[in-house]
Amino acid sequence: MEILFGFVGKDYALTASDNTAARSIVVQKRGEDKSRILSKHTLLSYNGEAGDTCQFSDYIAANIKLYEIKNGVALSTAACTKFTRRELANSLRSRNAYQVNLLISGSDPKTGVPSLFWLDHLASANKVNYTAHGYASYFILSTMDLYWHENLTLEEGLGLVKKCLKELKIRFIGNLPDFFIKVVDKNGIREIKL
Amino acid sequence: MARRYDSRTTIFSPEGRLYQVEYAMEAISHAGTCLGILSNEGIVLAAEKTVTSKLLEQINHEKVYRITDSMAVAVAGITSDANTLVNYSRNEAQKFLFTYNEHIPCEQLVQKLCDLKQGYTQYGGLRPYGVSFLYAGHDEHHGFQLYQSDPSGNYSGWKATCIGQNSSNAQGILKQDYKEGGMSLKEAKALAVKVLAKTMESTSLTSEKRRNFTFDFFTNYYFFEKVEFATLSLVGEKVVFHSYTVSEIDSLLKEENAQALQAEAQNST
Amino acid sequence: MALVNLNDVLSFTGNEEDSAFDDAKSSCMNFETSLNFKLPTFSIQNLSDVSDIATAPVDFLKQQMSNENNSRIAIKKGTTTLAFVFQGGVIIAVDSRATGGAYIADGGVKKVIEINPYLLGTMAGGAADCMYWERELGRRCRLYEFREKERITVSAASKLLCNIVYGYKGMGLSMGTMVTGWDKTGPGLYYVDSDGQRLKSDLFSVGSGSTYAYGVLDSLYDYNMSVEDAIELGTRAIYHAGHRDAYSGNTVNVYHMKKTGWEFIYNKDINELHYKYAAEAKPSTLS
Repeated sequence: MEILFGFVGKDYALTASDNTAARSIVVQKRGEDKSRILSKHTLLSYNGEAGDTCQFSDYIAANIKLYEIKNGVALSTAACTKFTRRELANSLRSRNAYQVNLLISGSDPKTGVPSLFWLDHLASANKVNYTAHGYASYFILSTMDLYWHENLTLEEGLGLVKKCLKELKIRFIGNLPDFFIKVVDKNGIREIKL
Repeated sequence: MARRYDSRTTIFSPEGRLYQVEYAMEAISHAGTCLGILSNEGIVLAAEKTVTSKLLEQINHEKVYRITDSMAVAVAGITSDANTLVNYSRNEAQKFLFTYNEHIPCEQLVQKLCDLKQGYTQYGGLRPYGVSFLYAGHDEHHGFQLYQSDPSGNYSGWKATCIGQNSSNAQGILKQDYKEGGMSLKEAKALAVKVLAKTMESTSLTSEKRRNFTFDFFTNYYFFEKVEFATLSLVGEKVVFHSYTVSEIDSLLKEENAQALQAEAQNST
Repeated sequence: MALVNLNDVLSFTGNEEDSAFDDAKSSCMNFETSLNFKLPTFSIQNLSDVSDIATAPVDFLKQQMSNENNSRIAIKKGTTTLAFVFQGGVIIAVDSRATGGAYIADGGVKKVIEINPYLLGTMAGGAADCMYWERELGRRCRLYEFREKERITVSAASKLLCNIVYGYKGMGLSMGTMVTGWDKTGPGLYYVDSDGQRLKSDLFSVGSGSTYAYGVLDSLYDYNMSVEDAIELGTRAIYHAGHRDAYSGNTVNVYHMKKTGWEFIYNKDINELHYKYAAEAKPSTLS
């Protein structure tokens, strides 16, 4: 029932994630931020199996931070993705694989070119322009097919987010009340309130 | 006194020295000279092969090795040790490419190799690698870079530097002739030829002779067969490594020779 | 006569050559068939049949917990526990019923585990798992105090527990616990379960009766309420859960976490509370 989607705009990458922590039919918490900062210009957003999500994201975030401290330069968004995919793929062949779905969004600090990567729990990774995880994809991929283009300004992008959330409110049984909208651009990562 | 402390690598002498490491460095100071010059447009690597016998078949590449698409090294020291380390570097570079799908940043690869070398100055019963390296590389972070490393595992970045036989002489010339902030690749190549000419086989030439015959003796002594020459430069976005063939080296030397003679003639008039 | 029958049921499978077996036999020679009392047996899975030794404990536990097994381990699962942060600290309230299936095994269980004077843990899921690992947590927190010369934060303590249970994920641990305390940052409340989930919030309820407790808590909780009101709210929420959930009930235990550490408030009988509340007027729905 968790919702996670995102897209790249003209000069930014945006992700939207619900902020609900639930177990079976009970909501345990609102306001849970299901993302980790990997570097100044790269954000990891996640959902999936309880426990696995936090452990895996912390592990990835710590290792990418360690790389930055050791070598004085941060990994690019694409390199972060490649590394994360590899770790997930290795875990997949172990006794208890991490069951996590991820989006990695980022912006090139030099050129400002945004990028977005989609990774699922089977360690498949794709560079995408717009995407969604889980049930949400059944409802909003067509919305994004309809409205998305590569020159979306931030204002237009937030308009698209609203369109997606509205569709989810109308048609999705697990309609979730509140979301974290995070934007990565040349200036770094920031949260946007709708 | 030294005897008691120099047989094992990992033991400090009372003066606080690691003799085995120093001996390894000593071994390198007898090896064929390698020099590297950084220019705006790329890097020149040049090396002198020591010829032990006239009868020995010459191997074309024994001093300059390619590590990745955008990195090459020149080695001075024990060739077999160098082979092991070159292999290790290539492996580490590929490992990085495998994990991150990007080329390894130059300094990181230098660091990797130096970590390995350092290990042998500290851990049990083994001798250090008897090799110094010159690394020429290009990456997105710092553009063209030139590094040097020694058996202790120390490394440093340079605009122009030299390792092996006569390296202090060569470094003197480099210091004098290096043009700060604006050298073309062509100028760098010319400087490399000049330094080699002035430092190679210097023991067999008096200073008087050296001045007069600076460039002439190349052809007489089949000098081009004893030199390896390579450049790393950019063609568009692409890093291009060029290892000179024997005939290319020959024509390069002849060209530089002619120009130098011309310059000398102009100076004298 | 009954003894003889029992002996027929039990069968001894020891090795006759075994010297321990001989010892046992000689020490009870005055009874003809008494060996089975000296060395009673029950069947357990032969671990040599297990193909993978790493999953052996999991397989063992599955077998022991299956309905087919006549020596089935009944694990206490039905529970209601709650905790919330308010202006006066944290209130922790729990019921006291232990069940094995439909059978009420015990009505006086302590479901609040006193880790140390500044930390409390609640118990839901496997009683033994909670009790053991929260005692282990207490040990580690004490060692932390020796090392760091200061009390551990609730955040760190709960993360410690979370990391421990995550290491056993998928191996049969069952626990849903709230770790509460007071540290240098003030009151702390974290939810940790055997999935490895760890959450920080102001209000949690765990167990089969948690939905009933949430119903009461969500409508009456107010951060600025007085200590008396908060204790009353905790009691009331557990009462309603005990009333509706068959697997929760008997009594309510309430604790109050303050700057000076935790304080045990009281133990109240849910049956008595039922008649007390029945006699009171219902709260207004208009606020």
